[in-house]
Amino acid sequence: MARVMLDVSSVYKSFSEPVLVDISLHLNGGEVLGVVGPNGCGKTTLLRIMAGLEFPDRGSVRREGKVGIVFQEDRLLPWKTLWENVALGLKYHGMRGEELTKRIREYSSMVGLTDSDLSLHPRKASGGTRRKAALVRALVLEPEILLLDEPFTGLDVKARASLREALKWIWDEYGLSTVIVSHQLEELLPLADRVYVLTPKPARVAEEIDLRGMDLERRLERVKEALLHILSRAGSD
Amino acid sequence: MTQGRKEADKGREIAFRTGRILAGLFVLAIWISASTTGMLPGPAEVLAYLLSMKLEDIVPQVLKTLYNSITGFSLSFLASMVLGLLSHKLSLVKGFSEALSEIFNSTSALVWSLVLVATLGVLSPLPPILVVAAVTLPHVLTATVSALSSADPGLLEAVRSVGAKPSDEFFEVILPSSVPLLASASRVGLGTALRISVVAEAFGSSGGVGYMIIRSYNLADASGVLAWSIVLIALVLGLDQLVLKPLERRAKRWLE
Ligand SMILES: Nc1ncnc2c1ncn2[C@@H]1O[C@H](COP(=O)(O)OP(=O)(O)OP(=O)(O)O)[C@@H](O)[C@H]1O
Ligand SMILES: [Mg+2]
Repeated sequence: MARVMLDVSSVYKSFSEPVLVDISLHLNGGEVLGVVGPNGCGKTTLLRIMAGLEFPDRGSVRREGKVGIVFQEDRLLPWKTLWENVALGLKYHGMRGEELTKRIREYSSMVGLTDSDLSLHPRKASGGTRRKAALVRALVLEPEILLLDEPFTGLDVKARASLREALKWIWDEYGLSTVIVSHQLEELLPLADRVYVLTPKPARVAEEIDLRGMDLERRLERVKEALLHILSRAGSD
Repeated sequence: MTQGRKEADKGREIAFRTGRILAGLFVLAIWISASTTGMLPGPAEVLAYLLSMKLEDIVPQVLKTLYNSITGFSLSFLASMVLGLLSHKLSLVKGFSEALSEIFNSTSALVWSLVLVATLGVLSPLPPILVVAAVTLPHVLTATVSALSSADPGLLEAVRSVGAKPSDEFFEVILPSSVPLLASASRVGLGTALRISVVAEAFGSSGGVGYMIIRSYNLADASGVLAWSIVLIALVLGLDQLVLKPLERRAKRWLE
C-alpha cells in the first residue's frame, strides 16, 4: 500500500453559506488524483484548504510533505519578468546566485521554457508560457505534493498538449503526487489514476472512481455517467 | 460598417479638439471684455510686459514656487505613507488619520497661511511648504490608504504560497500594486500644491510667484499681477501636461 501524502478528513467549510460539507479524501504517494465537479461547487476552496492557504471550520487536513500550488489564474506579478516571478520563492528561502540560476533552469527546461521565454513580462508572454511559469514557480521549491487548479483552462490545443507533456515529464522524473482540479474531462482523465466526483454547492464527495485499467473511452463514459447522476439528483431536489 | 465607425470616431475627435480650443478663446474673450472697462490691462499689454521681463527675474521665482510645492507635497506624501501603512494594522492610527483628514480638509489655505506666517514670521521660508503639506494631506492620505489596500488578494496569496513574509508581501506586492493610484493622487496633489503654494507665498516675504503677484498688486502694477499669474498658469499646465500626465499614463500600464 502506497503511503498517503495528503489526507483530508471530514472537512466542513462555510463562507456566507456552506461550501464544503463532510469532505474526506486522500492522495497516495506517486498518484495523480483528479477532482471534478460542477462550476462553482467549491473545488478551488478545497484545493486552498489542502494547501493550507485556507482553514476548514471543522475536520482536518494532514500533509506528508511540502505543497506546491498552481492557481486557476496564473497570479504572476505583472511588474516582474517570468524569471523574477519564478525566482521569488527561492529568494524567500534564501537562495541566491549560481544555485538559484541552476535550479530555475533545471525545472524550466523540463517544462520546455527557455531563458528568453522567462525574460518576458507576463503580459508579453502567451497563455501557455504563463501557465508553465506558474508551474515552475511551484516546482523550483521541490514540493512533494503538487496541487493544480484548472491547469488547462484558457489554453489553446497546442498549449494544452505541451503542458500535458510537461506534466508527464515531471511525473516520470519525480513521481510527484498530484491533485488536479479540472472540469475538462478530455484533458484530465487520460492523466488521472483516480477521481473524486463532487456534488454541486455545497460540495460533498458523490463518488470515488479508480480509473486504472480503463481506456480513455471507458474513463470518459464512467465519469460523465457519475456527473449526470449527481446533476439529475440535484435537479430533482 | 467599421469604416463608418472610424469616420464617426474621427468626427468626435475633431469636435473634442475644437471644444478645447474654444475654451481657450472663451477665457481670452472674457479677459478682453473685462479690459474694456479700463480697470484691467488687455492681453496685448500684458504680453508686452511679459516680453519685457528678464528670464533671470522669472526663473528664480518659478524655482522657488516649484521648490515650495514639491517639498510640501513630499512631506504630505511621506506622512501619508507612514500613516497609511500603520492604519493597515492599527485601528488607533486609522481613526487618527481619518479624523485628521477631516479636520485638515475643513481648514482653508488662508487660515493655514495666516497662522503659520504669524507663528514663524514673514521672512521664514517654511510657511509655504507647511501650508502645501497641510492642504494636500487629506487628499493624499485618503488616496494612499485606498491605494495600499488595492492589491489583488490572489497575488498576495500566490506569494504567500511560495513563502513570502509579511514584509515581502508589502514591498513586493502591496507597494507595487499601489503605484497607479499613487501616481494619480500625486498628479492631482502636485497641481493643488502649486496653486496653494502661491497663496502662502503671498503672505510672506520669502519670494516665489505668489510673492511677485502680491508685490505687483501692492505697487498697483496691474500688468505685473496678470503677467505673473500667466507665469503661474503656464507652470501648472506645463507641469501637468508635460510631466505629470505622461508619468501617470506610464504608471497605469504598470499593472497590465
Ligand atoms: N474567500 C471567500 N469568501 C467568500 N466566499 C467565497 C470565498 N471563496 C469562495 N467563496 C464562495 O464559495 C463558492 C465556491 O467557490 P470556489 O471558487 O471554491 O468554486 P469552484 O468550484 O472552484 O468554482 P469554479 O468552477 O468557478 O472554479 C462560491 O460560491 C464562492 O463565491
Ligand atoms: Mg475554481
